[in-house]
Amino acid sequence: MTALFAPLSSLRRRPGRTLLTALGTALGIATIVALLAVAGGAEHAAGEFYSLGASDLGLFQKAAADPTTSVLSTTLIPKLRRTPGIADATPLLLLVGEVSRAPGAIVFGADPSGFLTQRLVFSSGRMLTSRRQIVVGDQLARQLHLAVGDTLRVHGRPLTVVGIYHIGVAYQDQGAFVDMPLAQSIAGMDGETTTIAVKLGVTERPAAAKRTIAQRFPGLTVIADAQEATRAGANAQLVSNAALVIAVLALLIGGIGVINTMLMSVVERRSEFALLSAVGWSRWQVAGRVLVEGVVTTVIGAAIGLPVGVLGADWLVSELGAQEFVAPRTTAWGLGRGLLVGVLIGVLGGLYPAWRAARVSPAQALAQG
Amino acid sequence: MPGARVIAEHVTRAYGASVVLDDVSFVVEPGELIALTGASGSGKTTLLQLLGSLDRPTSGSIIVGDTAVHRLSRPARFRRETVGFVFQLHHLLPTLTVSQNVQLPLVAAGVRRRERSRRALELLGEVGLADRDRALPGDLSGGERQRVAIARALAGEPQLLLADEPTGALDSVASERVWRLLVAARERHGTTVIVASHDSMLAEHADRGLSLVDGRLVSGSSDGGAGEEAA
Repeated sequence: MTALFAPLSSLRRRPGRTLLTALGTALGIATIVALLAVAGGAEHAAGEFYSLGASDLGLFQKAAADPTTSVLSTTLIPKLRRTPGIADATPLLLLVGEVSRAPGAIVFGADPSGFLTQRLVFSSGRMLTSRRQIVVGDQLARQLHLAVGDTLRVHGRPLTVVGIYHIGVAYQDQGAFVDMPLAQSIAGMDGETTTIAVKLGVTERPAAAKRTIAQRFPGLTVIADAQEATRAGANAQLVSNAALVIAVLALLIGGIGVINTMLMSVVERRSEFALLSAVGWSRWQVAGRVLVEGVVTTVIGAAIGLPVGVLGADWLVSELGAQEFVAPRTTAWGLGRGLLVGVLIGVLGGLYPAWRAARVSPAQALAQG
Repeated sequence: MPGARVIAEHVTRAYGASVVLDDVSFVVEPGELIALTGASGSGKTTLLQLLGSLDRPTSGSIIVGDTAVHRLSRPARFRRETVGFVFQLHHLLPTLTVSQNVQLPLVAAGVRRRERSRRALELLGEVGLADRDRALPGDLSGGERQRVAIARALAGEPQLLLADEPTGALDSVASERVWRLLVAARERHGTTVIVASHDSMLAEHADRGLSLVDGRLVSGSSDGGAGEEAA
C-alpha cells in the first residue's frame, strides 16, 4: 500500500509535468484507437465487399489481391447452378474509379434479373431494363444530388438514372448497378466477371457447400463470411497488418515518451527518493511509488486519448478522402484495448525509471541537497 | 522505545584513495546526547551516514542496539525501525502536506491511515505545529520546517536519532527551539541522540562530545567534558 500513499498529491502539485506525461500517453493511445477504428472499418468494409452483402457465398479467383482484380469466366455460372446444394448463382463485375464525380463509388455490373439485384429496395424509380440505364444507391444519390431522370456518366458514358435503392450494404448503397454487358464492355472483360455470388438451398450448410465447390472448382476462393473475407483478401490483410504495425509503433512511441518523461522526473526528484529511502522505504516501495504514478498518469492520458482517438478516426478518414470506402468502427473492445495499452505503457514505461529511483543512493543524493 | 547503545570499532570510510574516516572507534551509551564536532570536511556527515546505514564502512564494524549495521542486507528495515534522521536542509517533500511528511516513516512501516494521522498530529503537537498539519512545506518558515523534520524523525519511535547540522540554516531563536526539541526527545523517549553541528549552543545541551579532525577522532572518551569538546 506504500506506493498508493498520496500519489495524487504529488501529481496534482506538479501539474505541468503530469500534463506533459499524460499528453504523451494520450497521443499514443489516441493514435492506437484511431488506427484500430479505421482498420476495423476497413476490415468490415472489405468483408462486406467480399461476402457481397446478401449472398450466401462469394466466389473469387484464387490468389486475387482483392475482388476487383479477380477474373472468372461466366461459363462457370451454369455449372455452379447445377451443383448440388446451390440454389442460384449470378455474376457481379466490380468497376472502381469509373464515376468521375465520385471516384470512390463502385459500379456493379449485374444481371438485372439475378437474385442480388432482386433484393434492391427502391425508394424511387425502378430496376434498370437497358444498357443505357443505371440505378444508384441512396447514399451516392445524396452525395451527387441525383434523382430519377438525371444523367450520370460512367467511364464517360451518359446513363439515365432510373431508380434509387437502399440495400443496407455500405458499398452498394454508396455505389450503383449497371447492366452486366455494359460493365463487361467498360472493363474489357467480355465473357468474364470479377465475382460470382451464390445463393444456397434452404437446407444447405455453407461449410458443406464450400467443400463441394472447392472440390469441383479448384481455381476458386469461396468466402462465407466477412471475417473470412478479410483474411482471404491480400489487400484487406495488408490493411489489417499495417494497422497492427502502426499500433505497435504507436505503443513504442508512447512508451518511449513516458519512459523519457518519467526518467526526467526521477532524475529531478533524486533527493525525494533518497529521502524516502532514508526514512525507511524499501527499494520495492520506492519503485512501486514511481510505477503507481506512471499508471495514474497514463490513465489520465487514456481518458484524454480515447475520445481524441475516436474523433481522430473520423478526421483521419475525412482528411484521406476515404469516407466513401471506410466508416471508422469504434467498438468497446477497441476502446478497451486503448485503455489496456495505456496501462501497459504506464507499467512498461515506468519500469526503468522505477528501477532507477529504487537505486538512488540516499547518502549521495541527500549530501547534494 | 529506549535508546540504543552505539559501538563503532575501527571504522574507516574511503572513496578510492581519499580516506574520509580513518579508524574511528567510540561507544555511545543508551539515552546519551552526543555532540559531534569538527570542521567542514572532517567526516561528521559521513560518520552519521554510516551509523544510520545510509552508507557502508570500507572496514570496521558498527553495532546499534543488537544490529550489526555494517553487515545489514536490508538497511531500509533498520532505518525504519531504529533510526530517525534530521538533516540540515530538512528535506521535506514539497508536494506533501506537513502531516503527510511526518507520516512517511509510518507509511513505510505499514501503519494504518487513521493511526498515522493521529500520531502525526500528536508529534506535530510536540513540536508546536499541530495547527499547520495541512500546510505545505513551502508555506512554513525555516525553523518550522526543521521542527516538522524533527517530528518526522521521531515518528518511527527511533532508538537512535541522528541530526546533521539541524540548526545550520536557522536564526538563534529558531535554533534554541530545535535544541530544546532534541533534548526533549531524549528525555521523553530515552532516545540516543547524536548531533553534528558547529552551533555553540550544542555544548550547553550535549552530555559529551566526539571531535573529528581530518577523519580521525581526536577526542571522545566518556569522561571528557562536553563543553571543551563541543565548542
